[in-house]
Amino acid sequence: MDLLDNLFLGVSVAFTFQNLTYALLGCMVGTLIGVLPGIGPVATIAMLLPITFHLPPTASLIMLAGIYYGAQYGGSTTSILVNLPGEASSVVTCLDGYQMAKRGRAGAALSISAVGSFFAGTVGTIIIVIFAEPLTRMAQKFGPADYCSLMALGLVAAVVLASGSVTKAIAMVFLGLLFGLVGTDVNTGAQRFTFDIPELSDGIDFAPIAMGLFGIAEIVVNLEKHLERSGAIKVGSLWPTREEIRRATPAILRGTVLGSLLGVLPGGGPTLGAFSSYTLEKRLSKNPGQFGKGAVEGVAAPEAANNAAAQTSFIPMLTLGIPSNAVMALMVGAMIIQGIQPGPEVMTKKPDLFWGMIVSMWIGNAMLVVINLPMIGMWVKLLTVPYRFLAPAILLFCCIGAYSLQNSTFHVMQVALFGVLGYIFVRLGCEGAPFLLGLVLGPQMEEYFRRAMLLSRGDAMVFIERPISLGLLIATAALLTLMALPSIKKAREEAFQEEG
Amino acid sequence: MNRVVTKDFLSGLMFVAFGLGALYVGQHLAVGTPVRMGPGYVPRMLSFIMLALGVLICIVAVVSGSEPVERPKWKPITLVTIGIVCFALLFERAGLIPALVVLVMIASLAGEEFKLPEVIGNIVVLSVLCTLVFKVGLSMNIAVVQGIW
Repeated sequence: MDLLDNLFLGVSVAFTFQNLTYALLGCMVGTLIGVLPGIGPVATIAMLLPITFHLPPTASLIMLAGIYYGAQYGGSTTSILVNLPGEASSVVTCLDGYQMAKRGRAGAALSISAVGSFFAGTVGTIIIVIFAEPLTRMAQKFGPADYCSLMALGLVAAVVLASGSVTKAIAMVFLGLLFGLVGTDVNTGAQRFTFDIPELSDGIDFAPIAMGLFGIAEIVVNLEKHLERSGAIKVGSLWPTREEIRRATPAILRGTVLGSLLGVLPGGGPTLGAFSSYTLEKRLSKNPGQFGKGAVEGVAAPEAANNAAAQTSFIPMLTLGIPSNAVMALMVGAMIIQGIQPGPEVMTKKPDLFWGMIVSMWIGNAMLVVINLPMIGMWVKLLTVPYRFLAPAILLFCCIGAYSLQNSTFHVMQVALFGVLGYIFVRLGCEGAPFLLGLVLGPQMEEYFRRAMLLSRGDAMVFIERPISLGLLIATAALLTLMALPSIKKAREEAFQEEG
Repeated sequence: MNRVVTKDFLSGLMFVAFGLGALYVGQHLAVGTPVRMGPGYVPRMLSFIMLALGVLICIVAVVSGSEPVERPKWKPITLVTIGIVCFALLFERAGLIPALVVLVMIASLAGEEFKLPEVIGNIVVLSVLCTLVFKVGLSMNIAVVQGIW
């Protein structure tokens, strides 16, 4: 009955006034940025990292998690009502959601997507509860060499499933690893790449990099594009017809299953889940011609899938300390800021944080249904705020946030510098996410690598001799070879073309 | 020329530059032996991998071609960067409000539409909001206007 005890602990943590408030706050902010096109959860969480520094650890992680899945809910609203994806994971929802809205079924599409998301979120949370303990116990058997290989697998898998050129993404991972080394070497105390700047001796702070690479670069790109706003559509009745319910229910179930599975994969996450489940529904449907013309299944399945995936993508981060996408890398960063080393120890050493966070995810999902359905009118109004007001405001919060990290304007300068670097990355088609993953894992990976080599007396064979490590490395190599196969390469390119 | 000013070729060059830069800056770090690695072991390893990947990306880009780089629009990135730098310079010397006014002004210029009344309205709203949230609410140790509050 360990599981029940743990859940009770989680409930007792999550239902304190403070944590409920932060869950609500996170969900509100998440919905807000989900609704607004042009600012995503990665940028927002990056910008809010400095604020979490001033909060208790549990509260801050609960809030950040709320932003992440709140954005999945909010993104669908914009997709359905104005045909603009608020989030990358809601791109497919536009296809049929907006068509439903044009036929006057916007309300039904919204409530189906909210209820589907809630169901999927609940299932996702249950999956985390079930798999967290066994995975953690397995991870505790890992030695340094195994960990090093696990991180390699995580990084490679994240790269393979991300879009764009694989070689460039791998190079970005290495660049991230390199940036992660800046600061004082833990073993010898030597200063590495610090340029005699005292602020750098503790390493480059994670928050200014994330803010610059994602926040600033995103704002600049949006300013260039000159975001257009079209008028919002009338919502209409929120109640779906019986026919719509009959068709949406199995789609929600399938979307949940597929989303949960894909969410666990490194590099998976909500966007992949949403696209795959849309394709699946189209294939299973008796009349695929309806898709793109307002098919309920085309809204229900991807919405369920992206939310399920948003939940289950927490699993590798919480149990192994390996982030599977950019948002999870930021969560790892938030934990490190709070002085918590992510990994299997989190569950044993900080059970209140671990289970409190999981229970609060479910609470957050319940809150989101309330936030999204009855309050829909308010969010629709927000859509009319032009970007030229938002951009300076977002910049301002970035700057103040960066300053508040250590009351130093040096961090604000760093934001500017990494903003420029982030912009260069965007222009050269280099993805920021692999860089961020490398950056987060860099210091740990070096640590494990050095420890493994020390234990094996400098024999690199240790990575092959240990069965766990060997298995992980074989999986990594297999993934890389698969990518080089022409047929798979082509299929992958096509998949991402559909996405873009 | 078209084969050189492409996204892939330039990013390859960027990786080569980072690799070389890391080697140069980290040249004084001791490498050590595989058993007792010095602080320079892993950095050097990573630098060489970066170099190799960069060269590989360049070669592939020249041989099989890649997308050309879009012409960057200089205005947004320059103005946004200047805005943040000004904010950093003014924040401690002059206080929150002056830094805010300058940042919002410059950032608003970066967009395509600039209407002064709107920007002033935005500044007023943000000033009140930031003062309430950061000074009154979170009681951060910052000056709203240096020397006055």
